[in-house]
Amino acid sequence: MQKSVVILAAVSIAGAALAEAALTLPEEGSISRADGQAAFERIYEVVTHPRCANCHVGADNIPMWSGPSYGEARPHGMHINAGESRIGAEFLPCQTCHVTSDDFDTAPHAAPRFGIAWQLAPVEFEWFGKSRAEICAQLKDPERNGGRDWRELVEHLEHDASLNGPVAWGWSPGGDREPAPRTLEEHVEDMALWGAAGQPCPQG
Amino acid sequence: MKLTVNGTEHEVDVEPEMPLLWVLRDELNIKGPKYGCGIAQCGACTVHVDGMAVRSCQLPVGDLEGEVTTIEGLGTPESLHAVQAAWVAHQVAQCGYCQSGQIMQAAALLDLNPAPTDAEIDAVMSGNLCRCGTYPRIRAAIHDAAQKLSEA
Amino acid sequence: MSRAGKIARRTFLIGSAAIAGGVAFGVYMAKKPIPNPLLDDLKDGEAAITPFVKIDANGITLITPRADKGQGAYSIQAYLIAEELDIDPATATITPGMPRQAYYNATVLGEGVPIPAYKEGFVADTLRDFMSVPAKLLSIQMTGGSSTVPDGFDRMRLAGATARETLKEAAARRVGVARGDLRTENGAVILPDGTSIAYTDLAAEAAEIDPITNVTLRPASAWRYLGKPDLPRLDMLRKCTGTEVYGIDMEFQDMLHATVRANPAVGTAGARVDASAAEAMRGVEKILPVSNGVGVIANNTWRAFQAAEVLEIEWSAPDYPGTSDGIFAALEQALGDPDSYDHRQRDEGDVDAALEAGEIIDARYRIPYLAHAPMEPMNAVVRVLEGQVEIWTGTQIPLFIRDRAATIAGVAPEAVKVYVLPMGGSFGHRLEMTHVEQAVELALAVPGRHLKLTWSREEDMSHDYPRPASVAAGRGQVADGKVVAFDLSVSQSAMAPEWFGRLSGMSLPGPDATITTGSWDQPFAIPNYRVTGYRAPSMVPVSSWRSVGASGNGFYHDSFLDELIHAAGADPLAERILLCLHEPARKVLEAVGEMSGWDGPSMAEGRGRGVGFCMSFGVPCAQVIEVTQTEAGIRIDQVYVAVDVGEVLDPTNLEAQVFGGVIFGLGHAMNCALTYEDHAPLETNYHAYEGMRLYQAPQIEVRALSNGSRIRGVGEPAVPPAAPALANAIFAATGQRIRELPLNKHIDFV
Repeated sequence: MQKSVVILAAVSIAGAALAEAALTLPEEGSISRADGQAAFERIYEVVTHPRCANCHVGADNIPMWSGPSYGEARPHGMHINAGESRIGAEFLPCQTCHVTSDDFDTAPHAAPRFGIAWQLAPVEFEWFGKSRAEICAQLKDPERNGGRDWRELVEHLEHDASLNGPVAWGWSPGGDREPAPRTLEEHVEDMALWGAAGQPCPQG
Repeated sequence: MKLTVNGTEHEVDVEPEMPLLWVLRDELNIKGPKYGCGIAQCGACTVHVDGMAVRSCQLPVGDLEGEVTTIEGLGTPESLHAVQAAWVAHQVAQCGYCQSGQIMQAAALLDLNPAPTDAEIDAVMSGNLCRCGTYPRIRAAIHDAAQKLSEA
Repeated sequence: MSRAGKIARRTFLIGSAAIAGGVAFGVYMAKKPIPNPLLDDLKDGEAAITPFVKIDANGITLITPRADKGQGAYSIQAYLIAEELDIDPATATITPGMPRQAYYNATVLGEGVPIPAYKEGFVADTLRDFMSVPAKLLSIQMTGGSSTVPDGFDRMRLAGATARETLKEAAARRVGVARGDLRTENGAVILPDGTSIAYTDLAAEAAEIDPITNVTLRPASAWRYLGKPDLPRLDMLRKCTGTEVYGIDMEFQDMLHATVRANPAVGTAGARVDASAAEAMRGVEKILPVSNGVGVIANNTWRAFQAAEVLEIEWSAPDYPGTSDGIFAALEQALGDPDSYDHRQRDEGDVDAALEAGEIIDARYRIPYLAHAPMEPMNAVVRVLEGQVEIWTGTQIPLFIRDRAATIAGVAPEAVKVYVLPMGGSFGHRLEMTHVEQAVELALAVPGRHLKLTWSREEDMSHDYPRPASVAAGRGQVADGKVVAFDLSVSQSAMAPEWFGRLSGMSLPGPDATITTGSWDQPFAIPNYRVTGYRAPSMVPVSSWRSVGASGNGFYHDSFLDELIHAAGADPLAERILLCLHEPARKVLEAVGEMSGWDGPSMAEGRGRGVGFCMSFGVPCAQVIEVTQTEAGIRIDQVYVAVDVGEVLDPTNLEAQVFGGVIFGLGHAMNCALTYEDHAPLETNYHAYEGMRLYQAPQIEVRALSNGSRIRGVGEPAVPPAAPALANAIFAATGQRIRELPLNKHIDFV
């Protein structure tokens, strides 16, 4: 039948498959520092990609619009402010437009959606416009990463993907949007490699 | 598939990815919610789902959870909701096409925030486009409705 | 001022206007009375006393032939009739009626005469009135040009008065008293003894007598509705309860839903289509060719949209430039090129000599194509049944639609019924009828079924027939604190001939006034003053956009005037007032000065104010805009507007129209352009073309003056001054002179 149904099925399978076949984690210390740094470079490319960074913004609570279809990065249109709640509760709830659905296949320029409630990431997870060193320090700091060690970061990615949350959506964003680089599976693996290498961070 | 709109339960035979807007308009002949853009850029299709404002053009009907209220269920010409009464008092509408959505959004706003400031109105209502430029009267009508609701 | 008794002048002038306008019609035809269309369909017991009032035993129907696209035409036409008829219009049925020649728009062509609106007197007025003759013969039952009120002011009141006096005559004959002894009140004739007879009760008898047309209109001092504050719009309740039925809301038993995809290079034919995927989709009934594209007929609008989206189509390309860069290059090439010369309606003093007197002040301007993008996308319901065509649609041009549908369906125009519905905005978009042509073509394939065609927003944006892009060059000279030379050249594709040709199949010879409307006709006295129009080739098909030629020319003329006044070292407002040679125009400039507490363009650090002025559709409108430069960009704080429509019939709606005009003018000047690539606009939906949203809307204060000698419409005149007022304010606040729209290409807004 419709294109959207086919894609919906594909997405659900991808998320579910990942959840079932959870990655066998490498042993801590089994990955070289250089390989760990290379893995972080790839992680950095993912988390600063518009699909991820646009909603990992700072304390002004204003999501961004950036990416190939927007030209220069700019604040989300319509004067949107997600408030300290980060879900728009003080003003316009994100979910007024970004509805909750496992069907990621929206029209171009429509409000993207995924399988859990749309929201900004917690303010301490700020990635938009941040440097490699800043993001790296944040990712490994349990005070600013949701209290997770590297194994729990991997688990977090797998869990979110299994719910068709943003982690699954980032690589299948619908609406002719550019997906995050490489694949979800590679990103999860990179998180594990970086962790097993001792979460090495770049300078500066 | 079953859905409840303005207190009435309906059974429809549609694909689950059909947006709620088109189920309302073309399957149930409920024409208050309007098609303006199809991509959540104009707000003309705004309805309430369990009291929350939702762009019905974005919601696949298969993902609908909760009861739908459209402008027809908010108030009627004989029995206006406070927001509608304020809209009439301030003679807000020009072409009127966006106003179903504006009114539904404003009602949801006042539900969450009974006394919004101008800045809060701007933050909530800027997702609803009006090409005629009725904005000054929308602001005034929302303040007026807030006042009336607080007195009630 | 009544038009009765003007026949002699029309007869006198018809020859010369035939030359000016390019159309010639016999005097006899112009004088022949137009039949009352309501008489065709009357049932027993119904009286149609004038083309605008129909009464039967069940009630009163007011015919309001100018279509409501949000501007309030529906309401004001009803109030105009009701004022003389003595009824509460809220109790009447109000309908646009069938398109008929009787509803021709006598005013709309009047703005095309080669006399600026600020010039009054016998020749100017007669020429304008004379333009009603071709309008009548061309059957231009059109809504547009801010003409509903000026055109209907006398005509609709006369209709109400004629109906009233005829009903009184019927009552007089029934009870045997003189008509002069009767009065009317609230839908009834009141006899001398106080007995009242409802109009509805007199309808059958009124139908038997010749209408009483020798009537006197009431003076403004006797009005009950007109001019009163808080006049409620008669459609307001419906529009606030979701119960207004727009074209897109029409519903019929067993109706089909259709959409189209047509060549984004508008008007270009030819396409190779692969419909195999679409045909297999749920609910799709037929996929058929339509002119320049493909139509999908389904059982639900969304299913039609989905199927249309998966059609694989290879479009053929037209022979004009496909990109905005190419289009602007062609416009620049025509500017000043003698081979592209179109007209020069203003040439005072010796501009060439004056420019030589010193260093020339040079400025180049440009404005983009702009979509109308009304909230309700184009749609039409059509049913073809046994040689009859019925059409339900929101339109400004019902007669053109009737005739075109007749041609497509191969039937006589009388076999086509056009039901005009309320419109979810237009801004000029509904002066086109491509969507109706497509709907008729598709409906012919499903005889007997109602078929609703709806354009997706993307289709609508791509087939908008936008406001023309144009470029302009200003050259000027100042001396001793005064502007001494003003020379403006504008280059644009010919809009009016293109549009009229599309609608009528006829060519409109002569110059295209829209190229310079809004700049050549401004009420200023500059010793050496010249405005020249150049006609660039036809490129993207273009049409009228709220305020038409003045939408761009207002920006050009007033921006350049501001630059020259600045160069002369004079005050922008004081100097405009000094240069102004039209009393009502001077008064609106003085009014905005007073409202804004004008003491020069400079304000506190980072703030500034600008004045903008344009006279369009005979209405002088001045605006003062105050802005602040903030870290996030320019913020518009306050707009002061003064406008003069001669006589204010509905102050509440006038304010609404001015709010709307200012916001429309500002929003597009700040934020909007259609940018072309591969012959199609990149801006396909509101994500890239929003006009203005609420958070950007400034405080607006409006003052209406009544010094003008003729009554005018206010739907458009507030648009043109907004852009230059804002650009001039930005200059005052930042020193940055922006000569290209949209302004956000050059500066950020909050």
